[in-house]
Formats: sequence, structure tokens, C-alpha cells
Amino acid sequence: MVGGMATLLNSPPRLDPSALVRPGRVHRSVYTDAEIFRLEMERIFSRAWIYLAHESEMPAAGDYVRRHIGSRQVILTRDRDGAVHAIPNRCSHRGTTLCAFDRGSAPGGHSCPYHGWNFAADGRLRGVPQRSNYEGVLELGDYDLQPVRVAAYRGFLFGTLDAEAVPLVEFLGHMATSIDDLVDRSPSGEVVCSPHVLRHHYRGNWKLSFENLNDTIHPGFAHSASVVSAKAVAAGLEEGEPLAASLGMMLANGKPIQFFQDLDMVTTPRGHSYIGGHMGASYTADTQSAYAQALIAHHGPDKAARVLGTDRHLMLLYPSSTWHARYQTVRIVRPVRHDLTEIIGYTFRLPGAPEETYRNAVEYCTGANSAASPVIADDLEVYERIMDGNGFDAREWVPMSRGLREDREAVPGLTRSPATSEAFIRNQFAAWADYMGAAA
Amino acid sequence: MSDAGLRERVRALIEDEARLLDDQDFEAWLALFTPDCRYWVPVSLDQTTPGDGVAHFNDDKQLMAARTHRLLNPRAFGAEPSPRTAHVVSGVRIDAVDDDGTVHASSSQIILEYRRRDRFEEDSRVFGGRVRHVLRATGSGLRIALKRVDLVNAEGSMNALAAPF
Repeated sequence: MVGGMATLLNSPPRLDPSALVRPGRVHRSVYTDAEIFRLEMERIFSRAWIYLAHESEMPAAGDYVRRHIGSRQVILTRDRDGAVHAIPNRCSHRGTTLCAFDRGSAPGGHSCPYHGWNFAADGRLRGVPQRSNYEGVLELGDYDLQPVRVAAYRGFLFGTLDAEAVPLVEFLGHMATSIDDLVDRSPSGEVVCSPHVLRHHYRGNWKLSFENLNDTIHPGFAHSASVVSAKAVAAGLEEGEPLAASLGMMLANGKPIQFFQDLDMVTTPRGHSYIGGHMGASYTADTQSAYAQALIAHHGPDKAARVLGTDRHLMLLYPSSTWHARYQTVRIVRPVRHDLTEIIGYTFRLPGAPEETYRNAVEYCTGANSAASPVIADDLEVYERIMDGNGFDAREWVPMSRGLREDREAVPGLTRSPATSEAFIRNQFAAWADYMGAAA
Repeated sequence: MSDAGLRERVRALIEDEARLLDDQDFEAWLALFTPDCRYWVPVSLDQTTPGDGVAHFNDDKQLMAARTHRLLNPRAFGAEPSPRTAHVVSGVRIDAVDDDGTVHASSSQIILEYRRRDRFEEDSRVFGGRVRHVLRATGSGLRIALKRVDLVNAEGSMNALAAPF
């Protein structure tokens, strides 16, 4: 097992997670220890609100999608009255998973493939074949699937296994404004999830992805080869030949560090964060006049100007998802094992916006989420090398102290730091220690 | 030209294209494509046009050039060492020929990829599926206007992909 023995001998007690996080550093076992991962599933992914799906993925009665809350599979269903439920993807008889597809329609409810037990959209056990065998033995109601708590924010559905969890809006806090940012970009008020989904994975811990996405120092190093290659191609263009958007995105990683030092990073309670936008006009203009006009018609000029003037880069909604409002992309971070993580990318159409707006979203999501993206390939390589290097005990503690004394402003519910700071990682581990500290 | 002659030319072009990728002769590989070409690996066999959704690859010629330039850059540690591939091309077929001479061809391909990372059997991967070429007649012969690769695991979750299929 990776890291096992050395961790036991040299380090703080491994089952006391609060001892693994210290100011400005964490113990390497938070990435490499399978037992820590098991505790994370129990204490973090069972307590936080986890992003699951958008309502447009299941528009009609009987529609469903299959998702994960940590290690648990859930089916999100829409019943005949239009209400959404989340039920465990597990037959209450022998434990067989009910549903094998990521999305579909089951107007007749979900039937177990093993003995045909049938469940309604709300998890109620509707029927069991050969009822006579159970005469006086089995009450159907005792075997209903216990629904998971679900809540929506502007059409985005979240679930939590914790009946005591704070309301979703409180969990989101200031970060709700980044979801508003996505929805408000629609000239019709609607957003529709594309059926085409991009999945990639890496042999590494789920937290590595969260710790990379708002790290503005690594691109100048990890992605330098793509910058070099994009520049080489740009230099060879014919006179007047425009640079492709995909190359603009690669070049955006080559900005000087001072640019990011001047940019703001915002961290909020429960591990969330975002940084200011930085791809801007060097990537794609999404303020085409037809789009701007449609937005003004919907919101009025003042609000439309505010929406178009908002430029945030990724919003990290700890621990489940990362959001890019400007390019209508949401990614689910799915922890599979301590050393295996899947990232699932969704794009959204904004009905009423020109086709170009959707194309920009597709372009961004492909560049930011395909395993074949030169930028992503570099990140995946780094994640796996971090796992390799932390798998042995040359050094026990991982520093995350960059910008520790550089916070710019702290008000209740929100801290501002330079975008070069590791404040967002420290903030994630503050939340981590909070969730992990106490047994359920 | 006879049907058999055209089929032979198309088969040779598709095999040459695969061979150039295996040889990492990317300059010659790019020269086989039209300036407005598209190299596309969709995430679903249901996708009809490159713009209708996300993709594993959705490259114009500039991105193809940057991607392959990077494969030969020693600082690109995501491709360090660069993957080695072997394409097996089979069943080349002409599906249609337009009035202007544009050829729609398809083939079955298996791509064996190896990149040494000391991860034992994971260092070798096999990809495969149906490859579609749209070949446009130009002054210098047939050139690739579209290469679409429908992987059998198009919907699947991929780890880093450095080499084009």
C-alpha cells in the first residue's frame, strides 16, 4: 500500500485528521492514505452539499440521471408531479444497483434486474413479485429507498447525506453569485445542459485537482511547453491569418506573474474560492453585439452591463465541483479512490444567445477538460508525479505557505488575497480539518 | 480514373497518414491536410458536427501544429518521453464520392500506444474504432479536409492523451 508503514511510524496518528493540518502545511498522507480517503467519504462527502446535476438533464416525468455522492451512487429522478428526488442506486433486497446508465427515462419506475423489485421515483417500494412468499413477513414500506436530501439553486441540483446540513444557500454563501453569473448570462433566463459530456481521470487524489485550478504560478512552468508551441505556430502564421481561439487559451498561460499578483483571489468559508478572470480578450470575446443586445432586452441595460462586465475565472465549490460561468462549464470532481479521480465536464447552452456563445463554451470546456488538451495533459502528469513523490517518506510535510502574509482584506464570509497566493488551498484545508475533525 | 485506381490511392493515403504519425514525421503529416481542415475525436458516436458539443480532440490546423510541435519539445514533460504508436489500418472503404471529386472514406484502425512511465502494464494502451476521412481533390492530389475518429470508447473516461490517433 502506498505510504502505509512510513506514515504509521513517523507521523501524527493517522486517524486523527486534525493533527495532519498545521498552519501553512499538511501531512503528505492526506493524499496517499486509503484510510484517510475512507474517512473523507464519511465525514466530508456525507456532510457537504454535493453538486449533482442541472434540472434540464431530466426535463420530463420519469427522466433520471445517475450520479455520485462520494462513494455512494444516487439516482436523481423526476416524478409525475415534476418533483425531483435523489434515491440510492441500490435495491433494498440484495443490494444490486438498479440503474446502469448515466441518464435515461424510466416512467415505470426503477426495477431491480435481479428479482424485479420495483421502486417509484420517490424511492417507494411499489411491488415485489411473488408477494405470497412474503405473506406476514415483509411490509413493503420497510424497504422503501431512503431519499437523499436535495435542493436546487437556480436550477442546479445539490444533494447531501446530512439531514442536519445547513440550507444550501448558506452552504454556497457568497459563491452563489458565481452561479448567478452563469445563469444571468442567459438572454432567456434558461440554461440547458448539453448531452455531450467530457470525462477524464488521473491516478491521483481528488484534492490535487482542487489545489491546482486556482494556482496561478504553475502555468508558467507546468504549461510552458504549450506556450512555446503556441508561440511557434503563431510566429509562422501568414500575414493577416487570425490566431485560433484554442491557441489563445494556451498563450493565456504565459502571462507574467505580476499580472496574477495584481489579480484578486476570493476565499469563503467551507473551502470555496475563485480568482478574477484572466483569459479575457486573448481567448474569445463573448460580448458579440447580437448577444449583448439579447441580454439588454432581458435584463435592461444596467444589469446587462454588470453581467457582461463580470469576469471571474474558475469558482471552486468545495468539495464537489468547479464552475466557469463565463464559458458555461461545470466540472464534477469525483473521488473514486485515494489515488484515482474522475473529472466530468458539462457545458450549457444559453437559449436566446447566438450559436457562437455555445461554441465558445464548447471550445473552453474541450481545452480545459479533455485528457487530450495539451494543458490538461501536463496537469495530469503533475498530479501523478505528486502521488509518486508523496508515496515515500523523504519529507513528511507539504508546505502551502505561499502568500501566507499577503491577504488583502478579510470581512465576515469573505477574504481577498493576491491570485498568486496559496490562500485558497489553506482555505480548503481549514474546511477539510473542520469536516474531518469530529467523528460523525 | 477507374474505381479500383481511386480506391488504391485512397487506401495508400490513409495508410501513409497513419505511418507518418507512427514515425513522428509531423511536418509531413500536417502537409496531408487542407489549410481549413478539422481533426476531430468526438465524445459520442451521436455527434454530427464538430461544433455540436465537447470533444476529446477538435483541432484546426493551428492546434494540430501546436500539439505536434509540443510532442517533440523536450520541455513538455506531459509528453516526456513522447509516446510511441503503431497504427493498424484495415478495411479501407470508399463510402461516397461527391460531384466535385471529394471522397468520403472509412477504415477500421487499432492504435497501440506505449509511453514509459514505470507503471508497468498501464504504460501500454490500445485505442481503436472507425476512422472517417473526407478527402478533397486539390491541385496537388487528395488532401484531408476532415479526419473523424470514432473510438469504440468515445464516451469513456480518458487519462492523458498526448499522441493523435
